[in-house]
Amino acid sequence: MLRRKRLCLAWLVLQLLLIVSFAARDTLRSIAEGPTILPPSLKSSSEKAESVLSTALGQRLRTSNPYREAVSTYANLAGIEVGYGYFGPNVPGTYKLTFELHYPDGHVEYEIPQVSNAAAGLRVSRLLDEIGQTTYEQLRQILVRMLAQSVWRQHPEAKTVRAVFEAIRLPALNEFQSGKRESDQVLYTYDFTVAERP
Amino acid sequence: MNQLSTLKERLVAFFFQTATDTWLTLLRLGLGLAVILYALSLRNDWNYLLAGATGLINRNLAEAILSLDTRLTPRLGWFVALGERFGLTEQMVLSITWFCLLGAGCMLFVGFACRFSAIVAWSLQLCAAKSGAFLAYGVDHFMTIGLFYLMLSPLPDRWSVDWKLRKRRPKTPELLGFWQRVLQLHLCLIYFFSGLTKCLGSGWWNGSSAWRALIRPPFNIVDPELLVKWKYLLPVAGICIWALEIGYPFFIWSSRTRIFWLICICALHAGIGLAMGMYLFAFVMIILNIAAFAPLANCSKML
Repeated sequence: MLRRKRLCLAWLVLQLLLIVSFAARDTLRSIAEGPTILPPSLKSSSEKAESVLSTALGQRLRTSNPYREAVSTYANLAGIEVGYGYFGPNVPGTYKLTFELHYPDGHVEYEIPQVSNAAAGLRVSRLLDEIGQTTYEQLRQILVRMLAQSVWRQHPEAKTVRAVFEAIRLPALNEFQSGKRESDQVLYTYDFTVAERP
Repeated sequence: MNQLSTLKERLVAFFFQTATDTWLTLLRLGLGLAVILYALSLRNDWNYLLAGATGLINRNLAEAILSLDTRLTPRLGWFVALGERFGLTEQMVLSITWFCLLGAGCMLFVGFACRFSAIVAWSLQLCAAKSGAFLAYGVDHFMTIGLFYLMLSPLPDRWSVDWKLRKRRPKTPELLGFWQRVLQLHLCLIYFFSGLTKCLGSGWWNGSSAWRALIRPPFNIVDPELLVKWKYLLPVAGICIWALEIGYPFFIWSSRTRIFWLICICALHAGIGLAMGMYLFAFVMIILNIAAFAPLANCSKML
């Protein structure tokens, strides 16, 4: 029994250490990326601290490194591979993706990614956030192309598809009071031709 | 030396507290129901969201990115590849996994083959969350966390079918208190970091973040005109949210403040669920909190 208790305690220490490390890493990243109420001079030290934690967690090692593999696998299995800064330090913006379907006869139809209920809708919204927030342009293009192809499959007669990715600008409370409402700002447009038809 | 051994004894007493299995019953029932609701809420879109080339977003991309980080984490692609060997199409395999997840949720809820159903529910939910990583949000992480602890806890509990009808008993009942402590400590860290990150943003002090969170599609359920009427409460709400979260690890342990803090946190989640449409997320968080800290979670004469 004593041995089992010791094992449990050792595991718990490791578990808590990992939870704190992943959560602190994400919080430090938020500080480094800003803006926060902390002095801007803290940004660089947050960046350094975040880098130290990422290194300790093996995230800077080669993907084939066994230490990285072990930590990442365990963290993913336990659901502790991300921090908990939901809507912090700032509530992020939100996005909209519209597809213009161009038909051979010249008419144009508009489509958005469709799912059957609000629960799945939350997930699509999460996907659009991912597309809007990623710093990898190539990944953004791939994701938009995949979404375009899923819409294209439902409208196979369309000749070309244009994807328009927009940021939804939310009014501040005082702007809303003075009559301003949410508006869209085009961030990216992508044109898909017959060659990319699914 | 004496002090050291007293400290050691106290630590052991803290981590291996005596606990009934009522908290585990609550966790099993709650997460079983959450898995059922999760599966049902995605029944029409499951295959579309998680398919490969024919889905909304190609599952293989999320799995390829996952492989850059870890190659051993389970994913739906493994089941699809296995199914192909037996002549099953991807759509058939995905449908089977959905039915298995729903079945595991039902079995967990009634407490039949508790450990097995907890493992199946955890692994399938994890697969869906990882293979659909671009579509995953908070609820997926918290369900993984909850199911991970549930699967490791000393099942079955006394209100399960396993206990009542199959006369199964847990192998390590003395670890009931330990697993409840693990859940408690994890929740403390979750709320602390969540509150800390929020309070670093000026918007959570002046009400603008609360405003943005409530008018941000797709969470914009409450009429903004109504929010304008109550605008003086927005800064208070913003500060209360992060203060409640940061204060959680400090005030949830004392018997004097525990009930108040627990009610406030559960009310916060219920509010988020109702005002932002995140019903399942709210439900999972309330279940985790109740199982971890509700006084009835340690009451042996419950139900």
